[in-house]
Amino acid sequence: MNRTEVFAKLQEVFDAVFLDPVVVTPELSAADVPEWDSLSHISLIIAVEKALAVRFRVGEVEATKNVGELVDLVLKRQGES
Amino acid sequence: MPNDEPKALLLAGSPEFWPCLAERTRSAMEFDALFALSALRRKAQARHLARPGLVQPRLRMALLGGYSLYPFRELLEHLCEMEGFPCELWVGEYDNYLSEIMDEASGVYAFAPEVVLLMPSERRCSYQGSLTDPREMQQAQAREVVDDLLGLVRQLHEKTGAEIFLTNFALPARHDLGAYRSRTLGSDWTFRKWVNLELGLGAPPYLHICDWEFLAHRRGLSARDARAWFESKQPGSPTLLADLAREVAHLLGALRRAPKKVLVLDLDNTLWGGVIADDGLEGIELGDTSPRGEAFKAFQRYIASLKQRGILLAVCSKNDHAKAVEVFEKHPEMVLRREDMVSFKANWEPKSDNIRQMAAELNLGLDSFVFVDDNPAEIEIVRQFAPEVATMLLGPDASEYVAELQDCRLFEPRNITSEDLERTQQYRSENQRKALLSAVTDMDTYLASLEMEGTIREFQPLDVPRLAQLINKSNQFNLTTRRRTEADLHALMADPAAMGISMRLKDRFGDHGLISVVIVKKAGDVLEIDTWLMSCRVLKRQVEDEVLNEIARLGAILNCRCVKGWYFPTPKNEMVRDFYIRMGFTLVAEDETQREYALDLRSFRPHTTKIAITQRAEQMSLDPARDIPAPLN
Repeated sequence: MNRTEVFAKLQEVFDAVFLDPVVVTPELSAADVPEWDSLSHISLIIAVEKALAVRFRVGEVEATKNVGELVDLVLKRQGES
Repeated sequence: MPNDEPKALLLAGSPEFWPCLAERTRSAMEFDALFALSALRRKAQARHLARPGLVQPRLRMALLGGYSLYPFRELLEHLCEMEGFPCELWVGEYDNYLSEIMDEASGVYAFAPEVVLLMPSERRCSYQGSLTDPREMQQAQAREVVDDLLGLVRQLHEKTGAEIFLTNFALPARHDLGAYRSRTLGSDWTFRKWVNLELGLGAPPYLHICDWEFLAHRRGLSARDARAWFESKQPGSPTLLADLAREVAHLLGALRRAPKKVLVLDLDNTLWGGVIADDGLEGIELGDTSPRGEAFKAFQRYIASLKQRGILLAVCSKNDHAKAVEVFEKHPEMVLRREDMVSFKANWEPKSDNIRQMAAELNLGLDSFVFVDDNPAEIEIVRQFAPEVATMLLGPDASEYVAELQDCRLFEPRNITSEDLERTQQYRSENQRKALLSAVTDMDTYLASLEMEGTIREFQPLDVPRLAQLINKSNQFNLTTRRRTEADLHALMADPAAMGISMRLKDRFGDHGLISVVIVKKAGDVLEIDTWLMSCRVLKRQVEDEVLNEIARLGAILNCRCVKGWYFPTPKNEMVRDFYIRMGFTLVAEDETQREYALDLRSFRPHTTKIAITQRAEQMSLDPARDIPAPLN
């Protein structure tokens, strides 16, 4: 997958998880989305992993500062079994 | 995307959204699918999308445990909502359950839950000591873990009256110690197995085990997720969360619904391979004719074991009756025989009609039936024309039939009573009585020929489960419909102001067991009937006349001048509207909610019946000298 495709998929995931519409941009972070708290984050990441067929390592999602960095991480992890 | 259809319905604001969502929820197996459906539900609720149907009162459920309970709680909420028992949840703090249970002022008690799910931490179910410590020492710790948990659960139940769901412990799935794991109680493997065993076998009636051990066993390695624990203290993998949520929802459903009672079976390619009309007795595959034959025989053996635990079996087949019965009577490899079936319908009528007739003949609701067939067209006909019947389509491979039926989850018993074990025999006895009735023309002769014997006793502790069953399930022949729990019954038995009596009936065809319950209270010189109910199985046998005779006898012994009874009408007890009049009482008062009747004991003459009473209530627990000032309301 390329960067654009990953963003598109992430938008689908955000649409499914959150009640209110959220526009996914590289600068977007949890601070911008009232619904995106530590609880909904758990379900969000489960959905991201399923939709993008990736598995993150412990602690590394927490280290990302925004969606752009999350996309970088996804691209890094894609292709690993 | 899989959620397109419900999503489209939601955007269109269509009330069809809700049944569609429920349908998708039933087939959603994985966490992410369930979570997405739950998110749609919350969106629909946020938009106030109208949901047709009855508004159910919310079940108050508390969740406590040694884990973070979100997103588990979201899945559980969703499943409960979709299955028709919406919940109001109270969720405890992470790993705070010990103090939440032991502190009387804690929020869980203020919440007054009806059900509590407790998920104790597996970190507290591990042997603290050496793998080589003596067995007695290791077992003592395991015992302590069990006793501590049972003690916590008892406290919870005593303070809230709630039913308690307790998760047990998943076993490790990694090699680790290797074969040594089973040589010591000090390994997590053996220690947790021991604890789970004792929890299950020692669980009191209000405690229901949520079998995490079994669910994790089915899922294997995919049940665990170490990262999820380190990052957010999750009990297990998303897959396991979904399994646990489904299991809890299933346990809740089982609290309110009885398991199914009747298994209706097709014949061709269900109980044997092939078609009897075409292949004949020699041509069908069953037992040692072939491996496929062995599979069908194993299926019959499993079905026979269901009968052993109280499930009624019936046949519904598109076949010539004689040819179908012949297999049961003559084929040497048949495990199931004609007398194992309480109904045998082999004809060319629609199966939905046949099952309806079975329901009428057996006097059971259609919703107690399960229909199993290998033919999707037959399944569809029953689904359409008898939708209350649960259906199961058998897959293409006969070797999987046992597994499919074992996984259907429709016959799980809560406990098995001796009544259950006798059930098929009871139905056969009833058929014999019906045959006698059709042969005899007058009621008196019929009743006399039954050779009925009755015994009447005060409530005994051993009878309490059956008494509670009757008291809580009888709707039709029930004058006041007062419900009481087993705990209430024990309290009643200790109460000197009240007395409970029950009657058992048998006849020459069989034993009906305990079929009538009466609770009376003495108020001055009046004996008040708080409860009078009877099983519909023994209508028109004169049971109520003998029960009245006994009530009058007790009233006389207690120096009562009259007996009073009340009728509280409900949608279901219309049949006893004029019962007290028929029994010789007079109406003394009435308003919109009740009617009060009285019977003068001084002029009462015992009713003659064809029942021989061989035992009467002997120990008088009611003190004749004691007065109860407050009248029954």
